[in-house]
Amino acid sequence: METRRLARTAVMLGFILAVVGLMAWSIIAKLTITPQATAEDLRALPLWLIPFHYLWDYAQHGWLCLGFAFIVSGLFQEFIPPDVMIRYMGSGDWRAYVFATVLAPVFCVCSCTMVPIFAGLVYAGSGIGPALTFLLVAPANNLLADIITVQVMGWPIALADMVAGAVSAIAIGYLVSKTRHGREFEERFKGRKQTSASIDLVEEPLDDRLWNALKFGGFLAKQIIPSFVLGLVLVSYFQAYFPEDLVRTWLTGPTGVVVAALLGGPLYTPTLIEVVLGKALMDLGMTPAATVAWLMGQPYDIPNSLSASKVVGWRIVITYGVLAFVSAVLSGLIYGAVTGGF
Amino acid sequence: MTLKLEVIGVEPACKRCKEAKENALKAVEKLRAEGVKVEVVKLDVMAKETMDRFGVVRTPAVALNGVVKIMGKVPDPGVIERMIRKEL
Repeated sequence: METRRLARTAVMLGFILAVVGLMAWSIIAKLTITPQATAEDLRALPLWLIPFHYLWDYAQHGWLCLGFAFIVSGLFQEFIPPDVMIRYMGSGDWRAYVFATVLAPVFCVCSCTMVPIFAGLVYAGSGIGPALTFLLVAPANNLLADIITVQVMGWPIALADMVAGAVSAIAIGYLVSKTRHGREFEERFKGRKQTSASIDLVEEPLDDRLWNALKFGGFLAKQIIPSFVLGLVLVSYFQAYFPEDLVRTWLTGPTGVVVAALLGGPLYTPTLIEVVLGKALMDLGMTPAATVAWLMGQPYDIPNSLSASKVVGWRIVITYGVLAFVSAVLSGLIYGAVTGGF
Repeated sequence: MTLKLEVIGVEPACKRCKEAKENALKAVEKLRAEGVKVEVVKLDVMAKETMDRFGVVRTPAVALNGVVKIMGKVPDPGVIERMIRKEL
């Protein structure tokens, strides 16, 4: 029994280390992980072949990055003690904001865990500010999205996106908690006693935990890959046939930042597709500054807003939606001004 | 003595919450065959009563006699079975 457990642990650790090692090597060797096809390449192909060519192009480069992202997400999910975040985020002062920002990205790769935690924080009376910060950071900066953004967009834009996402989520959470609606809403839950469950988590042996981690990675892959593939098919046609003039007119300069921020949100695409679509737009001429604004549009997409509105009501959702739009525009403008990337 | 096993998830149940409940039922069925009395309840994490009792939890979660034993993952039937046996 003991030897079997040991062998299982060794095999799984070996596999995980191999993927992590390959990923590190591909970064050091600067291998390209994104599709390389240009609009001209794609247009030269027959119509039916375009998505296959694009997918093959992506699969050749992207599998390692995706595999790595899924495995790391699984490891985080399994090995970060779940009660940590809950304990610290409930504190209600500035530490709650910090924990929301730092922990949400590694905690919530799956959106169905996110809204319940958000609602829980609100109802438990820990303040609408940190809860909103958490809600906004989780989809924008989740681990999976961050890894893919770095690989597809490169460090400068990815880093700008992460920092801007975190800063604006904190600012928005704080500002909303100071508005009249926010204060009224908080009042309703103030008097409630803070309940926290008695927690005594079951411990499992290491090999079972590693297996859990890999299983969760597989679960994520199953959830995400079908829509990702569909998205890539659409993006391939988009890249081949979307008129470049339109992109050059509307998605460059300061106007481009505003337009990109407008499109990035309501036009709901799963995060990973948003990144690839952003890359296609960039290849067609969207400026880096507009790209940052585009990527920042995630927190106010429609499904996310809908589920949040059930908890906090429309007025607060609209307030933070407007603030998120403003911060997307500001981030794009600042990025453009600092790097000259208009 | 009847033990109370509560599976906490979102409503409508997401895939992982469903799996957690199925695994819990499997474990309980096995124990019932041995004469252990376990009651299984499904709770909605967004319901007010659930939040009043458990505060903020990560779903899916499993509680035994009011103590949260598993949070944020789908437990295997074996894990639940061992967990219940410990309480006997």
